Amino acid sequence: MQAFQGQLAKLEAADTQVLGISMDSPFSNKAWAEKINVTFPLLSDWGGDTTKEYGLYNQQRKIGRRINYLIDKQGKIAEVQLDSEAIDPTKIVDACERRKLKN
Amino acid sequence: MRRRTALVLLWILTLALPAVSRLGAQEKKEGPPEPKFKVGDMAPDFTLSDQNGNKVTLSSFRGKKNVALAFYIFAFTGG
Repeated sequence: MQAFQGQLAKLEAADTQVLGISMDSPFSNKAWAEKINVTFPLLSDWGGDTTKEYGLYNQQRKIGRRINYLIDKQGKIAEVQLDSEAIDPTKIVDACERRKLKN
Repeated sequence: MRRRTALVLLWILTLALPAVSRLGAQEKKEGPPEPKFKVGDMAPDFTLSDQNGNKVTLSSFRGKKNVALAFYIFAFTGG
């Protein structure tokens, strides 16, 4: 999430809202946001309904999966970064900036 | 007597062995879940609370902003 925070200005300039999401409680998210200085929303998918709906719930280990989606203004998925590729969101930042230039 | 016992034990083992080896195979089949949606799909809508108690709905950004939706595993771990 720190990587997204670092690129937040660029993303906001390219009309992009950043949303973090996990199965943590809002309380855990608040404590963590303060610790790592994250200012964008961290959404609490407590119980995992959304994680399951996206097909990201690991039944065996009872955890989610790391993945970044870029969702365009029509609500369609434009880019995906899975697992370790999701640690550096540069690909998504670049895609947002290209879209901004097109319009 | 001893030979018969040995044969019975061997017989039980041959019955048990396939079941035991299948246990290992089951563990290996489980892997990380396959994401259901890919580029071009509509991202399923949701409404969830953020760390400040605000409710956020994904579809509220349609027509206004792109959304970078970042699923992480748990707070205080990795990144």
